[in-house]
Amino acid sequence: MLKITELSARVAGKEILKGINLEVKAGEVHAIMGPNGSGKSTLAQVLAGREDYQVSGGSVDFEGRDLLAMPAEERARAGLFLGFQYPVEIPGVNNVYLLKAALNAKRKAAGEPEVDAYEFLAFVKQKMKLMQMSETFLTRGVNEGFSGGEKKRNEVLQMLVLEPKLAILDETDSGLDIDALKVVSMGVNSLRSPHRAVVLVTHYQRLLDYIVPDKVHVLSEGRILKSGDRSLALELEERGYDWVRESRVA
Amino acid sequence: MSPAATATGSAALRSFEAQWLAREADPLTALRERAMRRFLELGLPTTRDESWRYTNLRQLGAQSFIDAPRAAAEPLLPTASLSLLGDAQQAVTLVMVNGHPLLPKRINQKINGIEISALQDLSRTNPEFVSRFLEPLSDAEQSRWRLLNTALFTDGLYLKVSARVETPLIILHLAASDRPGTAAYPRVIIDAAPGSSATVIEHHVQQGMHAPLCNSATLISLERDAELEHYRVFATEPRATHLDSLEVRQHKDSRCRQFTIVLGGGLVRTSLEACLNEPGARLDNYALLVGHEDRHVDCVNTVTHRVPHTVSRQTARAIASGTSRVIFNSKVVVDAGASHSDSQQSCRGLLLSPSAEIDTRPQLEIHTDEVKCAHGATIGRLDPNMLFYMLSRGLDRDTAQSLLVYAFLADVLTGMSVTDARAAIENALIPQLPDSQVLRKFR
Repeated sequence: MLKITELSARVAGKEILKGINLEVKAGEVHAIMGPNGSGKSTLAQVLAGREDYQVSGGSVDFEGRDLLAMPAEERARAGLFLGFQYPVEIPGVNNVYLLKAALNAKRKAAGEPEVDAYEFLAFVKQKMKLMQMSETFLTRGVNEGFSGGEKKRNEVLQMLVLEPKLAILDETDSGLDIDALKVVSMGVNSLRSPHRAVVLVTHYQRLLDYIVPDKVHVLSEGRILKSGDRSLALELEERGYDWVRESRVA
Repeated sequence: MSPAATATGSAALRSFEAQWLAREADPLTALRERAMRRFLELGLPTTRDESWRYTNLRQLGAQSFIDAPRAAAEPLLPTASLSLLGDAQQAVTLVMVNGHPLLPKRINQKINGIEISALQDLSRTNPEFVSRFLEPLSDAEQSRWRLLNTALFTDGLYLKVSARVETPLIILHLAASDRPGTAAYPRVIIDAAPGSSATVIEHHVQQGMHAPLCNSATLISLERDAELEHYRVFATEPRATHLDSLEVRQHKDSRCRQFTIVLGGGLVRTSLEACLNEPGARLDNYALLVGHEDRHVDCVNTVTHRVPHTVSRQTARAIASGTSRVIFNSKVVVDAGASHSDSQQSCRGLLLSPSAEIDTRPQLEIHTDEVKCAHGATIGRLDPNMLFYMLSRGLDRDTAQSLLVYAFLADVLTGMSVTDARAAIENALIPQLPDSQVLRKFR
């Protein structure tokens, strides 16, 4: 589904990604872990199409298409979803309006008719129930005045509504208490299927207790230093990131 | 006539003086003469005048003006008169052509609970009464054009609201001339009796090629417990020059919600002078200023808290694209002794092109202790993070940008309680916003 080859990228002139190689197949859940400043979020943003991040080398294939040649909105319509680490507040733009506009943009790209307003609302409400969100969030401005946890739930809600092929969740677990973490994990798990894939960018192993990954990668200084199965995450928690760096040097 | 006039010696001043000299005497002549003399002494504003820093009137000063015609050469277009409210709401529309009301019966009509008189008639039958609304003549530099209006207006509307009136009343100001170099002096007085309430919408539109220089003045007087929602909407053509003065006098526990919406015109200068004269008075002022192409929009507010326990809110949203310039200056004055005054000024500007300019200056002049006065002003571009967020959800760029522009205006639009007017203003806004091609290049 996703094949990243030797991807390099700069942010404000500074090289952050220095040759990333990663392949994610349909049905898989990958976790990308790593210390602060290792380039995890940059990778997520580059994949989503952020324009002020400059790709300086490499290629990304998404379902047979050249992902890097597509603008952000086209990537989204093709089935890529980024759950933001810091979802932006957009006062004045109604939450439900954004959801509907996003879904219709995707449907339009797929040659499908717009959603029926009534059915859409029922569908969204059902997903909100799953995310344990009050319906009042529908009519509020996008993320406006939401707590950190509410913002993350709202990200997952958007993901559930848009049903992407590939979801990249950038530290969706950070700032969540244990109850919220369970709700968010349940939301993500509900989307798992043989046709979809999930990339979890996270700092902590804790999330992986609830969303069990097929593969774990350690990102450090813009490169993937080590890949393995779930046991790598546990080992990391025990031994710290320095262990990976040292073992590589050794 | 005076040293100031000859010193400036501008063609415009001389032509205003000529208009004055050609006026027939009426019972207000003494008052008018004082206003005219004062105007000529002050001369045309220059960028050295504090409130005119950003608006240069040299071009205007070089032109000569004669009185605009009293009637439109062509029959009124029904589209013009219906453009703001449509027929969804049972609104009553009064038409003024270049300041001259078209009233089927001239004196004391009562429409939907509002008594309507032509100012010309009222000035003849009861000049002392009319003078009460024209005086005192202000010496403030920002109200200089009101002096000229006082001297030269020949007719206008006097509205007496004495009940709680549900139906909005629209005054359609039609600017129409068959030649350049004309000037109009529309005058409106809205007099709200104790406990009354009404909604009045002044809509300035243009018919035909040429718009007269429009020097309009409106006075709103709110007695005890009176409530008024007032709109002034400017939607003239790109070459039109409009100098509008609004004065608001508020008495005990009165409420005024005032919307100043600039969608059109080439040079539009609006001023608001509001005085909260008795405790409990509250003013909510909203300004929506849209500059595009090479338009120039200059909005100046002065709100004076004369007594304790008065409240004012000013919310301005300015958008500038192309090479336009939008200025919003607001000043809150709290007089000595007016403790427990509560004022807020919020101005936000959105720049949609690299060559556009927005200038804003919130000011406070406080002569007492124990007041609550807040002000804030920010000017920026569309937030790239917000834009990226929406793109990453699959919205196309045009939609995302328009949504953000609307979101930016929401604070003003959602304040409008006349939903039909709000919808009409939103519809009128769309063509005023720059095309997406321009937006796309600018990030």
